[in-house]
Amino acid sequence: MPVDKFANMEEKLWILEDLNMMYIRQIALSLQDSDIQKKIDHEIRMRDGACKLLAACSQKDQALEASKSLQTCSTRIMAYMTELQRMKEAQIMQKVTRRSSDAGPMDDRHPCKGKVAISDLRIPLMWKDTEYFKNKGELHRCAVFCLVQLGGEIFDTDMVIVDRTLTDICFDNTIVFSEANPGFEMRVELYSCCSEDDYSAGSTPRKLASKLSSSLGRSAGKKFRSAMEPGPCSPVGNGGATPLLLPVPSVPGPKYHLLAHTTMSLSHIQDSFRTHDLTISGNEECSYWLPLYGSMCCRFAAQPHCMTRQMMSGCLKVKQLGGEPQSWTKVYGVLKGTSLFCYHRQEDVEANVEPAFTIAINKETRIRASEKDPQSKVQNICISNQYGGEEVTHTLTSDSREDTRRWMEAFWQHFYDMSQWKQCCDDLMKIELPSPRKPTPVTPKQGSLYHEMVIESSDDLSTVSDILARRMQELELRSQLGTSPNWMSLFEENNPKSAGRPRPCTSRFSGHSPCTPHRPPRSPASPHRCPQLSLLSSDASLTSDSDSHCSTSPCSHRHAWPEPSSNFPLLSSSPSRLRPRTFSLDAKLSTLRGRGFRGGGTFQCSCQPPTSSLLAPLPVSSRSPRSQRSTQTTLSCSSSTSSNSSSNSEGRHSPESSEGAPFSRPSPARRSLRNLRARLDPRNWLQSQV
Amino acid sequence: MSNFIPGQPLVAVVQRIEIKKLRQGDNLILGFSIGGGIDQDPGQNPFSDDKADKGIYVTRITPGGPAETADLRMGDKIMQVNGYDMTMMTHDQARKRLTKKNEDIVRLLVTRKSLEEAVKNSMGGYQRQ
Repeated sequence: MPVDKFANMEEKLWILEDLNMMYIRQIALSLQDSDIQKKIDHEIRMRDGACKLLAACSQKDQALEASKSLQTCSTRIMAYMTELQRMKEAQIMQKVTRRSSDAGPMDDRHPCKGKVAISDLRIPLMWKDTEYFKNKGELHRCAVFCLVQLGGEIFDTDMVIVDRTLTDICFDNTIVFSEANPGFEMRVELYSCCSEDDYSAGSTPRKLASKLSSSLGRSAGKKFRSAMEPGPCSPVGNGGATPLLLPVPSVPGPKYHLLAHTTMSLSHIQDSFRTHDLTISGNEECSYWLPLYGSMCCRFAAQPHCMTRQMMSGCLKVKQLGGEPQSWTKVYGVLKGTSLFCYHRQEDVEANVEPAFTIAINKETRIRASEKDPQSKVQNICISNQYGGEEVTHTLTSDSREDTRRWMEAFWQHFYDMSQWKQCCDDLMKIELPSPRKPTPVTPKQGSLYHEMVIESSDDLSTVSDILARRMQELELRSQLGTSPNWMSLFEENNPKSAGRPRPCTSRFSGHSPCTPHRPPRSPASPHRCPQLSLLSSDASLTSDSDSHCSTSPCSHRHAWPEPSSNFPLLSSSPSRLRPRTFSLDAKLSTLRGRGFRGGGTFQCSCQPPTSSLLAPLPVSSRSPRSQRSTQTTLSCSSSTSSNSSSNSEGRHSPESSEGAPFSRPSPARRSLRNLRARLDPRNWLQSQV
Repeated sequence: MSNFIPGQPLVAVVQRIEIKKLRQGDNLILGFSIGGGIDQDPGQNPFSDDKADKGIYVTRITPGGPAETADLRMGDKIMQVNGYDMTMMTHDQARKRLTKKNEDIVRLLVTRKSLEEAVKNSMGGYQRQ
């Protein structure tokens, strides 16, 4: 009976699994490598936990996350197993060689290890225009994540939901491998899993499923059918690329499949963004298919230890160039990176005092040992460099022969390292350490914008467009709340300015093409973290409302007050737009509004304290970008307005001056200036400082 | 700005501006901000006449900076930088071209509305004769 057979199969798989586990543990024990053993045990425990979670969870995104952890754990276990096997082999080989030949001088040098980091992964997608404008059926969504493997370490990126409104898959994580050989091979794998909203392929009964699939559109139905059947592109278990040594537990739930992979090595390292080719597995018929453009863009950098650590240090004597032939200067030399730093004293190194002088040690340097000094019987070390057209030679010596030998050894090792790490040793590449994990921001449901829209009173085109813009803004801002860049505060003051006037932006709305307002253009491969934020709403002007700004973004709230007079006509017209999340802000809005009617004084100070608590959770972005989005933490409320007026360098006058007449319209000149500044909102239009 | 038809040669009245970069710590800065690019939305550009113009525009001048001293103005469209064409560049490419570390001076060719007006007025006078 088929049911029995299936149960039997499952049992057999479990037994196999247990045997595998035992086998792994045995090997680990025999190698007496407690390190790997602990790691394997940890991973196995994680895996069990993930299985249980997967079986227990009900929500789609929880299931996806759990499945992702499961996949990661399984891959890690396999990697550890491979590592164990390799070590076992090496051990045996060593025993063999020891027996066969006497240990000759093991003269092979080992290059120093280094840190390798990959960050800002971006994988462009290539949607067909038919896909793009399709409005039949639900949004085809996939959950994707990347696994990056180097040596025995495997890291996973965060999971991203991808649908046809995205043009690129972006992973913001920075992944750093601390100990990598120069001959490393790093494998990047992209896994994806179909995440249709309403159909969870496992649970729909067959009859209903076939009915649904026949009634859906042809391509949607095809995809669904293929997701239902375990066809060639959705094999049970791993993506089919890796040997099935470890059967993945057949837990019901979303399964990830390998969509694309690539292998990178030292030659791909460069201190900037580069594009690499991806090998795509799977085809259009698979449920987890995404139309990848075929390449991947990322920043791949390395810091070999010879560049960051002191490779050798000690006391040396340097012969003075010119002057008396026998005068030696005592220095404390430190070999690091591409130079030999010579400090006057050893204490200077820690004290960060500038070295007395620096001798370059790079690929063009030549070092040789000269003949023995007749008096001290110690060899001198001559270091020659080409500076411009001239050759400059420094002569060094140390106190004893042993020291000299050690320095020469260090220099040879350094040269060897540089020859192995090649382009990584030209200059020190920056590697940003991944910042402590921020709480994952709530990703808004990426449905159509219209799902969340509530049109209240009039069907005036401008009102509708404004609602649209505001909703989009909210969506963006809410999703970016965790990573809200600091520079936003620089530009917040733009928005209230335009509020007082009848909207100049309506004309722009009508001018825009009617198709999907939520289409983000391809974000440039720039090192700035914020491009998505600034480009997301290109089609809709964000300058409409201070009201929305007040109620959605905490950091804009503070700046909405400098011109309260211009806010009032707008605020009074939309009292009913209360959004549940920002209830507290709306409350403050109404109290401050009340206060404003009384007098026209400076509001800035009064609204600082309430907002400071809101501003606290916004993390300071660790990157220091070159543009005007500086890490200027204008979150300090007390100096906010002064920093506003000073930071906005377009010659804006202090806001207080316009508050003399609380209800009068601001002067036309200032209005146009404000208008301009509002239109220069970097969220609409990317700007860079040079 | 003259009407920009992609693929067709562009005629514009330009001004040469030479900016000497200022060293600020580790960076060489020019003291202005740019916006635009072929990968950006041209409709957001407040300075362009033709809202399909995807050129690089100067959006902000740091007061007292090298760009201000060299008489670069907000709203200028940058046509060339050190001989390289800037009318068909992505935003990031443009930024990189301006911030090359081994260049101390950038020689820009910029065009602005006031220039065109000035020429038109002077030419108009001539034509009327």
